[in-house]
Amino acid sequence: MAMGNKQKPLSIALLALGLLSLIVALALDFTGSDSVFRGELLVIGAIIFLGGLYLYPTQKHHKKIINFIFLFPLLFCFAVTVVIPFGLGLFYSTTDWNGIRMTQFVGLKNYAAMFTEVSFLWSLILTVLFVIINMIAVNVIGLALAVLCTSNIKFVDFFRAAYFIPNLIGGIVLGYIWQFVFNNVVLSWTLKYFDYNSSMLSKYNTAFLAIVVVYIWQYAGYIMMIYITGLTTVPTDVVEAASIDGATAVQTFFKIKFPMIASTITICTFLTLQSAFKQFDVNMALTNGTGSVTFMDQYLTNGSQMLALNIYNTAITKNNYAMGQAKAVLFFIILSIVSIIQVRVSNKREVEM
Amino acid sequence: MKKKLLSMVLVGLMATGLVACGSSAGSGSDGGGSESASGKTIRLVNGKIEVDSQLKKLAEMYEKETGTHVEIESMGGGIDIQGELKAYYQSDNMPDIFVCGGEADFNNWDGLLQDMSDQKWVSDTDAAFTNSDGTVGFPYTTEAIGLAYNADILEKAGVDPASITGPESMAKAFETIDSKKDELGLTAVIGYFAEPVNLYWSTGNHLFGTYLDEGLDRDDTTYIDMLNDGGKLDDKRFAAFADMAELFNKYSDQSLLVSGTYDQQILNFASGKYAFVTQGSWIGATITGDDADAYKEAGSFKCGMIPYAFEEGIDTILTNSPSWWAVYKDGNVAEAEAFLQWMSEADAQEVLVKEAGFISPYKSCTVVADDPFAQTITDYTSAGKTSAWHWLGMTDGYAQNYVGQVFADFASGSLDKDGFIKTFKQVTEAAYAQ
Repeated sequence: MAMGNKQKPLSIALLALGLLSLIVALALDFTGSDSVFRGELLVIGAIIFLGGLYLYPTQKHHKKIINFIFLFPLLFCFAVTVVIPFGLGLFYSTTDWNGIRMTQFVGLKNYAAMFTEVSFLWSLILTVLFVIINMIAVNVIGLALAVLCTSNIKFVDFFRAAYFIPNLIGGIVLGYIWQFVFNNVVLSWTLKYFDYNSSMLSKYNTAFLAIVVVYIWQYAGYIMMIYITGLTTVPTDVVEAASIDGATAVQTFFKIKFPMIASTITICTFLTLQSAFKQFDVNMALTNGTGSVTFMDQYLTNGSQMLALNIYNTAITKNNYAMGQAKAVLFFIILSIVSIIQVRVSNKREVEM
Repeated sequence: MKKKLLSMVLVGLMATGLVACGSSAGSGSDGGGSESASGKTIRLVNGKIEVDSQLKKLAEMYEKETGTHVEIESMGGGIDIQGELKAYYQSDNMPDIFVCGGEADFNNWDGLLQDMSDQKWVSDTDAAFTNSDGTVGFPYTTEAIGLAYNADILEKAGVDPASITGPESMAKAFETIDSKKDELGLTAVIGYFAEPVNLYWSTGNHLFGTYLDEGLDRDDTTYIDMLNDGGKLDDKRFAAFADMAELFNKYSDQSLLVSGTYDQQILNFASGKYAFVTQGSWIGATITGDDADAYKEAGSFKCGMIPYAFEEGIDTILTNSPSWWAVYKDGNVAEAEAFLQWMSEADAQEVLVKEAGFISPYKSCTVVADDPFAQTITDYTSAGKTSAWHWLGMTDGYAQNYVGQVFADFASGSLDKDGFIKTFKQVTEAAYAQ
């Protein structure tokens, strides 16, 4: 304890100094000072504070302090990039914020209004439909491609790369490429064979189909890669045993391989579910939500607008940031429910395996 | 001991790393502020990406002359500039000068903009934007919306553009040209595109803007006031407007009517494949710039503009400053104002007019552009036959999220004329119900 006696005043001094510089740095920031040192002061203050904490002579809490120090950088980043913005978002969703300033609190009015907005309900339904279709289609096609790419055909590596490449192209670029294809190539076909002068992207139903096609094209390769990993982990002795027992290739696949990759299927299902739900870039680049539809006796102009794009449009083009924020909170709730279910299901499966 | 030393060294390294990051981030965001405090840098957010290089040239000239560095940040091509500016505002990174497109934009920044009524340039122009805060918008160009035509083709077809004074004469002229399409080498009579994704502004803002203003005096706000009063449309006038849109649908390029892009529209007009095009004076820069080869091949034809005469007797085209530059109150006001004053003077105007193809809103400017539409605009302006652009005061997202799609549905045939009028009204009310 002799050392502790010497350490204690030093530790307290460091703690005080660190805290002081933190407060000064924050105060400088909030008062809008132009001092260039406030960033450094904040970081140095935090380090000094943590140093003081480390040197604090205590046997009982030493482990906790160490844990805290190691977790601090992560917690700090998490707070700055997730927790604080989320809190601000919740706050703004109860105001009439327009992106620049707010004049009053409106309580839960934004939340109530969003469910009476027919165009928003349409986006919600469309998104759910999109998720269901893609969850099935992407997984079936991804698995089929994976089976193809693990078989003995020639140029397997080439096919693997070729199917995966669309996933490496950014969604916006991809959207514009396909917009060109739909507006020029497909249109010239429909004009020639059906004398139909509208592009696929101009009607909400065909536009929706177009988004589904592009999304599958983009995402199936990625899912295929995961399935390939799953398929290659199936032990060869089991497969061999099956073939010795006289199982056909189809039987081997459905009776042996398919159950063995059940966990991979869960992962892929939730991956597609989440990413389809968050669909934004392709939607924006391809149709930007246009297409007219009559829904609940109302003529809507956002026939192909998914939820994420609806939120963006509400905030940016309609200049209603508070409402956009309220919709985003609902979006968050839906997505977190999905994520929680996903974690539950995969945990349960892992136990079973 | 060795271990301890190592750990101290590591901690030291981490600390310097953090501090280094902190300082670089700090200087990144504060650099503008601290430098501008010494009066050396101003930042301008430009909304016309097509004149980016000309503005950069002007910034260089200005720096040589006065030593003030002007940073030009150009946005465009589908970016929502106001949204971007709001993000800048939230992150305390506001430019000193930025673009504002009309009443709604200026209302957003209400109280945050510098009143420039004491500036010299104010007395030199009629196009400044004024509201309750004072003179807050600096005009930098004039643009015109009218039915642009290829004068050579009209002459060959024997149609005098001056004879188009109302719906009947317009229909007759279209019919005449349509019957001679093959010998004139035309694909279609008119390049009217109602594509809703990327061209909604052409139909929803500009074409619909003619309903609001064609034939009216510059300060006549009858129809915009009706519209902003809960989304009301004048039945008779709108029916006439719908007739014109129907005519355009009929004589347009069917394969591109609901899917074409701006580039295709202008290129085809520049190549002499359309006699008319539903775009304004800004296409002059594209015709003589990007599409210069096609334009030359088509014989560098003369261009002109006629009013969108959907009612007999309409004789004006719509000219206005399409957007303004505003000065941010908490920015570097003095330097920004000095720069804008310089921009309104002869040296800068010459570059803007000659190289950027702008039509100067300043009375003292004597330079005349060699833009294909400059002459027409000058003629209409000096004859006093211009109306304003009151569509700038429509509600946010009206074209993009509401009526752009209705024009497309009308063009593709899924709505007939009555359906178009009915739906248009319904959608407009919905837009204003928010």
